[in-house]
Amino acid sequence: MHFAIPKWAAPVLGVSLVAVALGAMAAEPIKIGVSGPFTGGSSPMGLSMRDGVRLATEEINKAGGVLGRKIQLIERDDEAKNERGVQVTQELISREKVVADVGFINTGVALASQRFYEEAKIPVINNVATGSLITKQFLPPEYKDNYVFRTSANDGIQSHMIVEEAIIKRKFTKVAILADSTNYGQLGREDLEKALAARGIKPVAVEKFNIKDTDMTAQLLRAKEAGAQAILTYGIGPELAQIANGMAKLGWKVPMIGSWTLSMANFIDNAGANSNGARMPQTFIQEPNTPKRKAFIDAYVKAYHPANGRIPSPVSAAQGYDSMYLLAAAIKQAGTTDGPAIRAALEDLKQPVEGVVTNYNKPYSHDNHEAITANIPVMGEVKDGHVVYAYEEDRKNPFHTR
Amino acid sequence: MDILMQLLMSGIALGMIYAVIAFGYQSTFATSGTLNFGQGEALMLGAMVGLSFNGDVLGGPYTNYWLMIPLVLLFGALQGMVVEFVGVRPAIKSKSEFGWIMSTIALGIIFRNVAENIWGRDDMPFPSPLPTAPIHIFGANVLPMELMVVVGALLMMLLVELFNRRSIYGKAVVATSSDRDAAGLMGINTGLVITFSYALSSMSAAFAGVLIAPITLTGASMGAVLGLKAFAVAIIGGLTSGLGVIVGGILLGIAETTTGFYLSTGYKDVPGLVLLLLVLAIKPSGLFGKTTIKKV
Repeated sequence: MHFAIPKWAAPVLGVSLVAVALGAMAAEPIKIGVSGPFTGGSSPMGLSMRDGVRLATEEINKAGGVLGRKIQLIERDDEAKNERGVQVTQELISREKVVADVGFINTGVALASQRFYEEAKIPVINNVATGSLITKQFLPPEYKDNYVFRTSANDGIQSHMIVEEAIIKRKFTKVAILADSTNYGQLGREDLEKALAARGIKPVAVEKFNIKDTDMTAQLLRAKEAGAQAILTYGIGPELAQIANGMAKLGWKVPMIGSWTLSMANFIDNAGANSNGARMPQTFIQEPNTPKRKAFIDAYVKAYHPANGRIPSPVSAAQGYDSMYLLAAAIKQAGTTDGPAIRAALEDLKQPVEGVVTNYNKPYSHDNHEAITANIPVMGEVKDGHVVYAYEEDRKNPFHTR
Repeated sequence: MDILMQLLMSGIALGMIYAVIAFGYQSTFATSGTLNFGQGEALMLGAMVGLSFNGDVLGGPYTNYWLMIPLVLLFGALQGMVVEFVGVRPAIKSKSEFGWIMSTIALGIIFRNVAENIWGRDDMPFPSPLPTAPIHIFGANVLPMELMVVVGALLMMLLVELFNRRSIYGKAVVATSSDRDAAGLMGINTGLVITFSYALSSMSAAFAGVLIAPITLTGASMGAVLGLKAFAVAIIGGLTSGLGVIVGGILLGIAETTTGFYLSTGYKDVPGLVLLLLVLAIKPSGLFGKTTIKKV
């Protein structure tokens, strides 16, 4: 192949090369990847996460950056598709040469993509994806070190909380599970069934639905006929809304308790009044009940002007924000942008990191890469278009540390 | 008994949604022997344009639901003409057997991408013009909007049927569908009739869009699954029969809800597809379709 280079190109190229070289000498920024779905059904989570990360980065840069260098975010849309996730991950590693990555909303995308970070010895913090397997993909002895960390509450913790809410606190004995047919829904259903079995309970109905299903009559009637007193869900916003609307149509109203996605704006908006009362585990609820949280919410609303002052996915925004601070603390402690050194620093953070979700005091160790423990999330409830605390005592005493 | 009634009612409501979309496949097939594979996208565009007038996505609401309908119909007709002009006419002119398949699919993808850029990719609620509380019919719960889908779909088909039988223009359409070459020799401008049938087809899809949007959700990807199911309905019922799409739609709708309940919700789409395979194997022109002999 032969490319004809126009005559004017040579000097232009020369000048820009010099400019690049000069730029490199004046404290080159630290590149950090941000990957998530910024379009599609999961985009409320992806965009809130990205904005949380941006907010933290701005604050860090304003305070002088890390190691005397600014942080530069390289944002990539994985479209919630596994193959696209793999593609942007490889681009971030080989072309952009990021020193670390924060992101991943969808469990399937995370499981498909993070292998490349592991191989390149680049730390990645999952700040929204919840699949239990995510932090357990690369364990010793097969892999010496695990480069995958997490700042979200995994499905094991969530399914346990859902079952505790239904069985212990509200004393239901007959529950039905409705889960979507994706990886997320079916892995979550397994976790729910396990958590129920641990309490000696078998669900009276276990039903499946597809993404984009518009009619939930059959699933709901089966649950109703089996005598279900509550519906436990694992799915995403739009279809969860069809379940809530379907219940209203059948004139059958039982509590909906499910994974944290019941707090998604596209569930609450599409189900309207039918979403009232739905309960889900939350690591963060948009309520300014600590000074740090107030500052975070005010800054977010001021910077991104969400509709009606409501963050589309508060949990994703808060976890995204915290993941950036954890990463910055680790880079600072490592004193270098070398991957293995950052990983080692994350696993042994000397200074506690003050976060929005919790205060991170030694959040990780070599064998534990989960920052969120079972005592941190609280139960949220949908009330008139907003997610609020389900229990008054949680609202008054909202801040838990591991 | 109540359960069965509820399943039947929900199945009929779902089936009429499929039928009203499938109706659009018919009108173009009758006149030109071609189909618009972007029918699901025409439906989506209708719903999105309707939501722009009627909802607050683009700074509205500008009109109420009922005033919005004629505007959406007009938009649908124009959109159909564009599809015919860009995608179908060149293929018919060059006597290409398959060109129109690719070009209508391509246009569908383009329309979806445009919609994603204008309205975003998230699903949105469509304000319902009727109360959302269910009403009781024969021991089953039905939404007023579901009744409106049934009534609206039947009304639309009736009007088209009346137009075809009573007006001189309608007779030109009927003549073109029974024999395009002979109609051309009789002085009917068959090209214009085909353009008209595409306008009618997209118009009915756009109408279906605003009719079903308050029940389903509204978003750039809403047409994909519905368009495909409606295509199955058009094949089951027969591409040449108006009665066929209604019966086919109701059959598929009831098959989905009853299998979901009595067998397993994991298998609810299977019987409809089995039905499709059976029809194709036993009566390829559809349950109500006329068998046509293609002379070669």
